[in-house]
Amino acid sequence: MGRFLLGRLALAIFVVLVVTLLVAWAVRLSGDPAVMLAEGAGAITAKDLENIRKALGLDRPFGVQYASFLGGMLTGDMGNSFMGGRPVAGMVRQALPLTLMLAGLSLAASLLVSIPLGIRAAVNRGGAADQAIRILSLFGLSFPNFWLAIMLVLVFSITLGWLPPAGADGPSSLVMPVLTMATILSATNVRLVRSAMLETLSAQYITVARSKGLAETVVLYKHALRNCAIPLITYIGLQFGGLIGGVVVIERVFNWPGMGSLAFDAVASRDYPVLQAVVTVLAAMIVLVNLIVDVLYGFVDPRVRTE
Amino acid sequence: MRLRHLASATAVFAAVAIAPVPQAQAAGTLTIAQAQDPNNWDPIATFLLSWGAVGSNIFDGLVSRDEQLNLKPGLATSWEVLDQGMRLRFKLREGVTFHNGEPFNAEAVKFTMERLLGPEGAKGPQQSNYTSIGSVEIIDPYSVDIVLKRPDPVMITKLAGYGAMIVPPKYVTEKGSQGFGAAPIGTGPFKVTGYENKVHLTLEPSGNYWGGTPKLDKVIFKFIVEPATQVAELQSGRVDIASQVPIGMIGAITATPSLQLLSTTGPTVTVARFNTANGATKDERVRKAIVMAVDREAIVKQILQGHAKPVTSFQSTLSFGFDPAQKPVPFDPAGAKKLIAEAKLPPGTTVSIDFASNNVIFREVAQAVAGYLTAVGLKPQARPFEMNLFTNDIIPNGKTGEMFAMGWGGWTFDYDNTAYLMYHSGERWNPYDKDPALDKMLEDQRTIADRGAREKALQKIANYVADHALELPLFNLDTYYGVSKRVKGLVVPPDNRFRLIGVSVD
Repeated sequence: MGRFLLGRLALAIFVVLVVTLLVAWAVRLSGDPAVMLAEGAGAITAKDLENIRKALGLDRPFGVQYASFLGGMLTGDMGNSFMGGRPVAGMVRQALPLTLMLAGLSLAASLLVSIPLGIRAAVNRGGAADQAIRILSLFGLSFPNFWLAIMLVLVFSITLGWLPPAGADGPSSLVMPVLTMATILSATNVRLVRSAMLETLSAQYITVARSKGLAETVVLYKHALRNCAIPLITYIGLQFGGLIGGVVVIERVFNWPGMGSLAFDAVASRDYPVLQAVVTVLAAMIVLVNLIVDVLYGFVDPRVRTE
Repeated sequence: MRLRHLASATAVFAAVAIAPVPQAQAAGTLTIAQAQDPNNWDPIATFLLSWGAVGSNIFDGLVSRDEQLNLKPGLATSWEVLDQGMRLRFKLREGVTFHNGEPFNAEAVKFTMERLLGPEGAKGPQQSNYTSIGSVEIIDPYSVDIVLKRPDPVMITKLAGYGAMIVPPKYVTEKGSQGFGAAPIGTGPFKVTGYENKVHLTLEPSGNYWGGTPKLDKVIFKFIVEPATQVAELQSGRVDIASQVPIGMIGAITATPSLQLLSTTGPTVTVARFNTANGATKDERVRKAIVMAVDREAIVKQILQGHAKPVTSFQSTLSFGFDPAQKPVPFDPAGAKKLIAEAKLPPGTTVSIDFASNNVIFREVAQAVAGYLTAVGLKPQARPFEMNLFTNDIIPNGKTGEMFAMGWGGWTFDYDNTAYLMYHSGERWNPYDKDPALDKMLEDQRTIADRGAREKALQKIANYVADHALELPLFNLDTYYGVSKRVKGLVVPPDNRFRLIGVSVD
């Protein structure tokens, strides 16, 4: 077990390292931050640009820049933003909880909806409820998340005036971003619950439970749901990367000051330190969640450990 | 951030159900949406327009400009030009203090300028505009001389620019650029009372402004990147001014009874410049033909929905050097065809129109221009390039096709700021034109101290450029804002620098 854990951990660290290297390298292909910084400066000369690059430390070789970034990450010093020189660590500390909250609430809301609906669909397999739920899920799958977000803003902010269209000004600001994300997530999750449930419901212990005369709710929510929890948790763990990706887009639409907004700004202004830090933190989180799922699986199913 | 402390998901959803509906703004509070947070409010650290919108209310320069861009006294009550324009003497306003109580005097001016021109300034983009300053000499506590290294007739205007905003020496020395940039202090009508990076910045009246008392109790700047989101915030009454309104959403604003669209002539002029060194456009007749072939009026009306003005040169009507007598080249496809025949271009000669791919407006304009060029027998080709590549490599290294789009203008509103950089040989933005006669005209106007004579010289340059068809003049896009009707007394600033002292809200 110890060797299995170590192996998985080493692999995870390796993946994160490769991601940081790729990001650091790719972002430098995308353009010159000095030009972005000087945008609008009329009489900017090559010499001025040189000065700015020097002040930003971009005159050093790539290896040195990468090493100092990596060294900084290990000590918690993420460097300073090119745009205004603020410490990146502080920016990430401000943004990360907001992103995690949005992602977590979206996932929770999605599960609250998709578990009962998925079970209902499985139980009524082929029936009217099943059909309706599957069609609804198809709609959910077909909406691009940003389109759904804009439609919600049109209805709830502009027409009805119930909810703020943007910002993080209290609980009401969370409704539409969470609703958008949860709708998209539920579309997949409801199908997942349905198929996992169908498989479980055909098992013999369900027949036994039913023949003991247990109430149907107990059979479904106690016996069956527990057994399909394992594939569900695995899948949701793997879904985490996609969830974070979706949140990034949604943050932009709702002007939510999280990691996605940070990343967007950083890309637009070629703010290498911010972009590198955001991608590294998010990648590390995704790798970590996958690692946890892997390890949990190893505990549950000993066959995985020996692979 | 109070959101972080929310207990649990259920609590949030329960709270949401009873959350108060976001209502119209509090009395006396004006809320303005800005696209970007410069992250550092130190005046020498940025060039972003959003700095101007906010910073102009916190800081003062020696001189300032009103909404019509006329120069007027700021922290200097008067000034004189000495030594054939090489020495500028300023009489300073007495009894002015910074928001923290530090006195404003000649020392503060010297400190500000030396900081701008020193290593601190070299880290930012502002320094490049002030390199003609040689030294600052204190005459007495309330008189100061700015001594120039070379003639710079635009310097007085530049002293109203971001980089020359006067900063408090003691405070800046204590806090450093970072600390000062996070909690800026100036002599302006408003002081900063709250700031959350990339979220919002709050201003309140500073209490003892030398130029009067603001009518507002509070100004909140919200940073909202997405233009559509700004408009949504405006429509739902959560901001009073949206500074980024996509042309396609203007209709949504004018259709809302509580909102209005306010606009003014903007600083940025868009032209398609010609590659005068290679290809079909090397021939002046072809360039002239292209200028004749394109209907600017129609482009402004159809694509820009009238929110722009056609131009005759690479400057707006507000620019110093604009020549009201310069006539636009009339739309004349027949004449264009004749010129192209005269130039003996092979049929179907390719003319490419290059632009930055993120320029959504020009993307449409390029299609229209291509249509006009097809009509006169050319084979146009619209080519988008990634923005950074376009401005950093394609243009400065002379890798463009026959035509390339550029927008220029800038806050000085002085034609020199465009013409010298675009047409003088060897300049970064001028990969193609090499004309000794034009170079001489551009250099000479910089040495003219007399305003009237210099204006004439600049007008002559504009006409020279048009006569040689160095560019296809297109349009001057308006600066426009979506504004709630509760806002009173707002004059739309062409330079995005809101002057909020006279503004009030219902």
